[in-house]
Amino acid sequence: MNRALPETLHYLEYITGNVMGAPLKLQQQQQSQHSYLNETQFNVFSLPPQATQVQQLQDLINNDSEVRELVNQSMKSDPGLENGWPDFGKYPIPRTGFATTSSLEMDYSISRTCTSPPTVVVAERDSVLTDKMASTIGRERFRKRKADKAQNPKVVVAEDTRDKRIKGDAEEVESEVTEQNNNRETSADKSKENSMVSEVQKPDYIHVRARRGQATDSHSLAERVRREKISERMKYLQDLVPGCNKITGKAGMLDEIINYVQSLQRQVEFLSMKLAALNPRIELNMDNFFAKEMFPAFMGSFPTVGNSSEMGNSAFLQFNPMQQVVTCGLDMAINPPDMALRRTTSTSITITLQQVQPSSHWETDLQSLYNSEFLQGRSAAFPSQPFTGALEANNLKMEM
Amino acid sequence: MGARSSFKLEFLKKWALGLKICSSLAKDMSFLERKKAIKLSADVAMASARDGTTCWSRALIANASKQDDKKIIVRTMLGSEFKKITKSSSSGSFKPEKRVRSKKILRRSCAITRIRKTATKRVLACSIAKRLVKKRTQVLKGIVPGGESMDEVSLLEETLDYILSLQAQVDVMRGFANTQVLSNPK
Repeated sequence: MNRALPETLHYLEYITGNVMGAPLKLQQQQQSQHSYLNETQFNVFSLPPQATQVQQLQDLINNDSEVRELVNQSMKSDPGLENGWPDFGKYPIPRTGFATTSSLEMDYSISRTCTSPPTVVVAERDSVLTDKMASTIGRERFRKRKADKAQNPKVVVAEDTRDKRIKGDAEEVESEVTEQNNNRETSADKSKENSMVSEVQKPDYIHVRARRGQATDSHSLAERVRREKISERMKYLQDLVPGCNKITGKAGMLDEIINYVQSLQRQVEFLSMKLAALNPRIELNMDNFFAKEMFPAFMGSFPTVGNSSEMGNSAFLQFNPMQQVVTCGLDMAINPPDMALRRTTSTSITITLQQVQPSSHWETDLQSLYNSEFLQGRSAAFPSQPFTGALEANNLKMEM
Repeated sequence: MGARSSFKLEFLKKWALGLKICSSLAKDMSFLERKKAIKLSADVAMASARDGTTCWSRALIANASKQDDKKIIVRTMLGSEFKKITKSSSSGSFKPEKRVRSKKILRRSCAITRIRKTATKRVLACSIAKRLVKKRTQVLKGIVPGGESMDEVSLLEETLDYILSLQAQVDVMRGFANTQVLSNPK
C-alpha cells in the first residue's frame, strides 16, 4: 500500500482544503499521515470525546445567541453596543482556529461571550445561521442516524421559531441574510469550503474537517471517514477491474467486481482442466518450460544476459544471471502472453539456439541445476538456496 | 512490476512443489482427480505466496485443510508455515453475525414501514440503492474466501488483494498451459 499513502494524503488534503494556510496544512499532513499509518477503526472512534464536547459548547453558544437575537429584534440594535460585542466576534475565530486552540481557550471565549452585552453583529449571526440551517439541511440530505436527531431537537425547534420571526419581520438586513443563507444552503453540499471543527491535536487521532454545510457530530464524522475510506478503495478497484471507468456508484461497481472475480475463478478452473487434459501425469516440466520457450525468447531480447554469460562460468555469477534469467523469462512468458509472439519464438527456436551456441554450456548447466533443485524440493521445505539471497531480497508484497 | 513478477515466481515454485507432492502421492489419477490436484496446489500456492499476511489467504488455506485428503498435501506444501497460518486464522466472529443478521431484518422491516409512509421518490431510490449494495456485498463476501467475517472496508481491501493474486495466478497458469501446448504439438 505504499502508493496508496501519498494518494490518501492528497485526497485528505483536497478535502481539508486550504482554509487555514500553510503551517496548519503541514501539521494536518503529518497528522493524517500518522493517522493513516496507525489506522484502525479504534482511532476513528476516539474522536467522540473531543467532538461531543465541542458540539455541546457550540450548542450552548448558539442557544445563547438565539435568545439574544430575539431580545435584540425588539430592541433594534444599538450601534453603540456593537463595540461592546467584540468578544462575540471571537466566536467564529475559535471555530476557525480549533486546530490551534485548546478546549481551555474555548471555555474562556464562551465565558466572555456570555458576559458581554447582547448586540448582534450581522456577519457573525450570519455565520451562525448558515451553520445552523445548513446543518439541518445537511441532516435531511444525508441519511442521518437517530443519534444526530436525538441530540439536537431543541436547537431545531428554537431555530424554526427564530426563522419564522425573521421572515415575519422582513427587515432588509435580515432578509438579505436569509437570502444569503438560502443561497448558501443550496450550495452547501456542493461547496468544498470548510467550517472548522478540528479537534485538539493528538497524534493518534484522525483529524477530519467537517465540510461546509454538514453536521459536525462525532458519529457523522466517523461515518464520513469510513465512507471516504470505502470510496478510496473503490477507486483502486475501479482501476483494477477492466471496464469500470464509466460506472459510478457503489452498486454498479460491486456488480462489476463480483463478475470479474467470478470470471477469474472460472478461468483458473478452466486452465486447471486444460492442464490436466494436456498432461497424462501431473508434472511441471521445467526442462520444457525453460529450454524451449524461455531461453531463446529472452536470449534474443535481453542482451544483458548475453554479456553476463561472457563473464564466466563461476558458480556465484551463475546465480545472479539465473535470477535475471528466471524473472526475465517469466516476464516474457507471463506478462503479456501474446500468442503471436509465441508462434514467432517457436519458429525461431532453431535460429536462436544457433546464436546461443557459445553459452550453451551455461544453458545446460542451468537446466541441470533446476532439475536437481526440483528433485530435491520434494521432501524438505522449498530450497532454492541459491535463490534465497537474490530473490527473497525482492519485496514480495504486491505493489498497489 | 518487480513485486508482481516476484509474486509470480514464488507462486510458480510453490505450485511446482505442490504438483510434485500430488504426483508422488497417487501415481495414476483420473482426469478429474488431476484437475482437482492442480487447482488445489495452485490455490494453496497462491495463498502461501502471500505468506499469511492477508485474511483471504489464511481462510483459503484453512478451507483447504478441512478435508483430510487435501490436508496432507497442504501441510507438506507449506511445511512450517502451516501451523503459523492456521493459528492466526481464528474463527471467533461467527456468532455476532447471526445476531447482526436478525437485527438487520428487524431494522429493515421497520425502515420499510416507515419509508412507505413517507414515500418520496428520492427516499425510495436511496433505500433501493442501499438494499442493492447490501445484497451485492453479501454476494462478494461469499466469493472472496474468508469474506464472511469482515467489515466493508477490509472486505474491499481483501478483494483488491485477491483480485491481484488471481490475475497473477491466471497469468502463470495460462503461460504454462501455452508452453505445454507449444512443446507438445500432438
